[in-house]
Amino acid sequence: MNKLITLLLVTTALHAQDVRGIIEEVQRRSHTDSQRYEGTLQVIDNKERVTTKRWTYQRIGSFGESKAVLKFIEPAEVKGIALLIFNQKDRSSDQWMWTPSLQRDRRIAMQDRSTRFFGTDFSFEDLEERDVDQFDYKLLGEEPLNGQACWKIESRPRKTKSSQYTHSHVWVRKDIYAFVQIEGFKNQTLVRRIQYSNFEKIKNIWTAKKFEVLDAARKSRTVMQLEKLEYNIPTKQEDFTLQSLRRSE
Amino acid sequence: MILLRLLTLPYARKHLLRTLLTLTGIVLGVAVFVGMHTANQNVTQAFRRTVDRIAGTAQLQISAGETGFPEDVLEKVQANPNVSAAAPVIEAVLDTGVSGQGSLLILGVDMLGDRSLREYEVEGSNEDAIDDPLVFLAQPDSIMLSETYATRNNINRNTAITLNTMQGPKQFKVRGIMKTSGLASAFGGNVAVMDIYAAQLVFGKGRTFDRIDVGVKAGIEPDTTRKELESALGPGYQVEAPSTRAGHFDLITKGLATTINISSLFALLIGVFIIYNSFSIAITQRRAEIGILRAIGASERQVLWLFVGESAVAGVIGSAIGIAMGLLLARGVAPVLSEMVRQLYSSHQVVDDVVASPELIAIAMAIGVAASLVGGFLPARNAARVDPVKALQKGRYQIMSEGENRARSIAAVTLIAIAAACLWLGTSNNMFYAGYATVIASLVLLSPALAQFLAKAIRPLWKLLRPVEGVLAADSLIQAPRRTSATVSALMLSLALAVGFSGIAGAIHSSVLTWMDTTLNPDLFITPTQTITNRDFRFPAELEQQIAAIPGVAEAQPVRSSRMMIKGVPALGIAVPIAAVNRRIKPAVVEGNLEEMIRLGSEGKGIIISDSLANIRNIHKGEVVELDSPGGRISLPVLGTTVDFSDQQGSFLIEKTLYEKYWQDTSVNVFRVYLKPGASTEAVKENILAQLGRNRRMFVFTNASLREFILTATAQWFGLTYVQLAVALLVAVLGIVNTLTVSISDRRRELGILQAVGGLRGQVRRTIWLEAVAIGLIGLILGLAMGAVTLYYNVDMLRRDMAGLRLEYQYPFTFAIALFPVILGCAFLASIWPAETAVRRSLVESLEYE
Repeated sequence: MNKLITLLLVTTALHAQDVRGIIEEVQRRSHTDSQRYEGTLQVIDNKERVTTKRWTYQRIGSFGESKAVLKFIEPAEVKGIALLIFNQKDRSSDQWMWTPSLQRDRRIAMQDRSTRFFGTDFSFEDLEERDVDQFDYKLLGEEPLNGQACWKIESRPRKTKSSQYTHSHVWVRKDIYAFVQIEGFKNQTLVRRIQYSNFEKIKNIWTAKKFEVLDAARKSRTVMQLEKLEYNIPTKQEDFTLQSLRRSE
Repeated sequence: MILLRLLTLPYARKHLLRTLLTLTGIVLGVAVFVGMHTANQNVTQAFRRTVDRIAGTAQLQISAGETGFPEDVLEKVQANPNVSAAAPVIEAVLDTGVSGQGSLLILGVDMLGDRSLREYEVEGSNEDAIDDPLVFLAQPDSIMLSETYATRNNINRNTAITLNTMQGPKQFKVRGIMKTSGLASAFGGNVAVMDIYAAQLVFGKGRTFDRIDVGVKAGIEPDTTRKELESALGPGYQVEAPSTRAGHFDLITKGLATTINISSLFALLIGVFIIYNSFSIAITQRRAEIGILRAIGASERQVLWLFVGESAVAGVIGSAIGIAMGLLLARGVAPVLSEMVRQLYSSHQVVDDVVASPELIAIAMAIGVAASLVGGFLPARNAARVDPVKALQKGRYQIMSEGENRARSIAAVTLIAIAAACLWLGTSNNMFYAGYATVIASLVLLSPALAQFLAKAIRPLWKLLRPVEGVLAADSLIQAPRRTSATVSALMLSLALAVGFSGIAGAIHSSVLTWMDTTLNPDLFITPTQTITNRDFRFPAELEQQIAAIPGVAEAQPVRSSRMMIKGVPALGIAVPIAAVNRRIKPAVVEGNLEEMIRLGSEGKGIIISDSLANIRNIHKGEVVELDSPGGRISLPVLGTTVDFSDQQGSFLIEKTLYEKYWQDTSVNVFRVYLKPGASTEAVKENILAQLGRNRRMFVFTNASLREFILTATAQWFGLTYVQLAVALLVAVLGIVNTLTVSISDRRRELGILQAVGGLRGQVRRTIWLEAVAIGLIGLILGLAMGAVTLYYNVDMLRRDMAGLRLEYQYPFTFAIALFPVILGCAFLASIWPAETAVRRSLVESLEYE
């Protein structure tokens, strides 16, 4: 009996290690020192009304230590609005928003991360990087998605990670080690589903060029398409500060 | 019950007008009670509702008085692990300039996190309140209106509205409509939301917030988090539940509530006398009926219960009508009261609908019935004691026994002794009010004896005026004091109250005038608001130099006033450059040495408090008070006391540089501007507006216009005086009509004989007219005398309990003299109808017994 328990424990530990390994591999394969793209964001509400915005995105650093600037470029009414994100290895990210017409930056509080990202179906938390060390993982099994073999993994935020989701289900494509779908839950209720598609190999990295987010409660969708995507481009740390945002006006 | 149906109902039907007059006493008292209390309750509830609806699901609110606090406090609050949401707020009221729409409550919130605490959409609705949240945040002209306000004014999404901001009139684009529930239904639905950082610009609040609304994580006791936040933020911050914030409102309107209670009490007391009077008439007229009842075997108890029952029924009917009229009265009074409270206290509330609480209606009904029973009991007891034989005789009935008169006088003298003891020995408020009540009771008890004395005193005068009719009229009063005592008492009470209010109004008026002459002497006042008491908008400090540079301006003094907590209660802190201001004014010193006060005050070594604050909070020179500021707690000694009417809750002067240091606030509410000799006030005013007011919200008051504004604000006491005077006139007319009806009925035989022996109709008329005028005169003399007493108590009440104002006792002689023609005229008018009834009565009927 004791042997059986010991065997079960060892198997469970190994299993957990395997799952973590999958996520680490996803992280390793997508590792880059920097990134830049232009994105088109379409919010489709429950009455199928569509609003479109465009932004540029720049990142420096990688998982857990990266800094990113997201800046809206269209339409004219929102041009210049920017979001500065400092991802942290051991806790949730720090985020600031810059409003050029007011010449003001505002810090986005931890408590506000669950709110919608400027009327889209993303929340501010969804813009953070999911560092492997901030979650505990459990392999739920294998489940194909869109005809592709995938691992279905449950991730639960650790105590140090403040999250609106009690747990998430993550689908990882077995052939390319890339996330294809993430479902965020609050207890047993689905809050948000993010689907990744239009995979393309850019600088040897399989990259999804289309994200679709569904807000389960509101029944609205947001589709984001990436263009002009580049990795490992020359960037400077000083471009990722509040001062640089202010200067850029 | 059978007796009521068989005897009372036919009598009531036959004398419908008199029955209505009987009810009037109760209706009057109950209507004033319900009306004033309902209005007050509704204004208070409107404030609570506004606080609740704006607070949303916030369990705690953090503020630092009216001054606001720096933005970085938000991060300290958000850092508390038990805080689930912390949303900064700026709250202010803007005049919309739209006719009939009044003010718009603007809530500046951070739309990123605010939805954790406040709902802008209706639950379950698929419609977003805001079309595009990013555009709303990106554009500082974004505004979200409540659906109620938008519908009322035909405003749709994406239309522009103009608001008068700190940068002058500015157009805002409606980028959202809130459904009418929760937040959107606050302030009568006149609610708008804008981004908090845009609101900072609009209201000139710099980088400060007014408040932070806090949600606490599930399972955590809000009080625990409150204590943690208090300890983290320091003593300058108030962390409290929204309901506690509403409690401050009760505190600041306490004075108003006391006035309302006293007015209601007097109204009810007057009602009791009208009932007493009316029942006395009824019993006089039904004396024969009572005699027959007794003769056929009805017991004293049955007769007593018949009339007590009548008074109870009259109480119920009168109270019901009084409650209905009170609700109508409240509808008229509530908006006035709301506006008065808003002007005086800068509190934001709109009375949506006037509703009386079931408790208040029950209390009003109970009070009305009780007052009716009290007023009806004595006549009922007298009716029960009627000797059946005497009852069936014709003659005089209303003669008060010597014993009864003596007992009243002894009781009155005893009460006066108690009142004097309360006055001299007691310092507590309970003792003071007990003394007030006792002295009123004693004067009421003494009124029949005094009325008789005065009737005797005026007899020679009446004889001089009309030898026959004058003597008959005066004798009628002398011989039957009970007949007139109720009317005289009611008139005395209502006139006393009117005199009391008038005296207070006059004293406030003259004190405020003196204060304005000595202290409020700048040529111009520049403010960002239409009302100088509204502190929602502020100027930047640098405007001082720009004003000083305008040709003709000799000096511009910045004033930053805000309500601050002193000894746990709010008072108006006025931050000024003390030395500069005092070079121009001559404040009346109550305590302390002015030179020393100015020297130490300008060095930031203490505060100078108003006499009213000293009285309300019992603070005196030398006492060290603690002021909690965002920069920490400061202990400052009171350097002295001066007369200052800036605020009804009391005020204090603090050196502006000290205030700026601790409150981290350099903004200005008002600039006091002195002109160079020979400079034209109007020309400089126009120049200031032209040069500085174009792109800025700015109002320039001349000294005269500000005085007018302040005197209007103090006119509430004059308003109360006129209301009370109207009540007094009504009482005079009703009471005299009733009394004369009894008198004529009582003196049927006497008047009949007068006519039989050749007396002319004109003589009968004049007899009754003179009797009426005599009643009016006696009531007036006693009222003016009692007014002297009530004024004494009112002056002290104002000092002790309401506003801490130390007013001089100034008897309103002009008002008193003006009352003579008014009251005597009313008395005469009231006598016309009874006199005509008397002269048209059949002589045979009048002398049938003979």
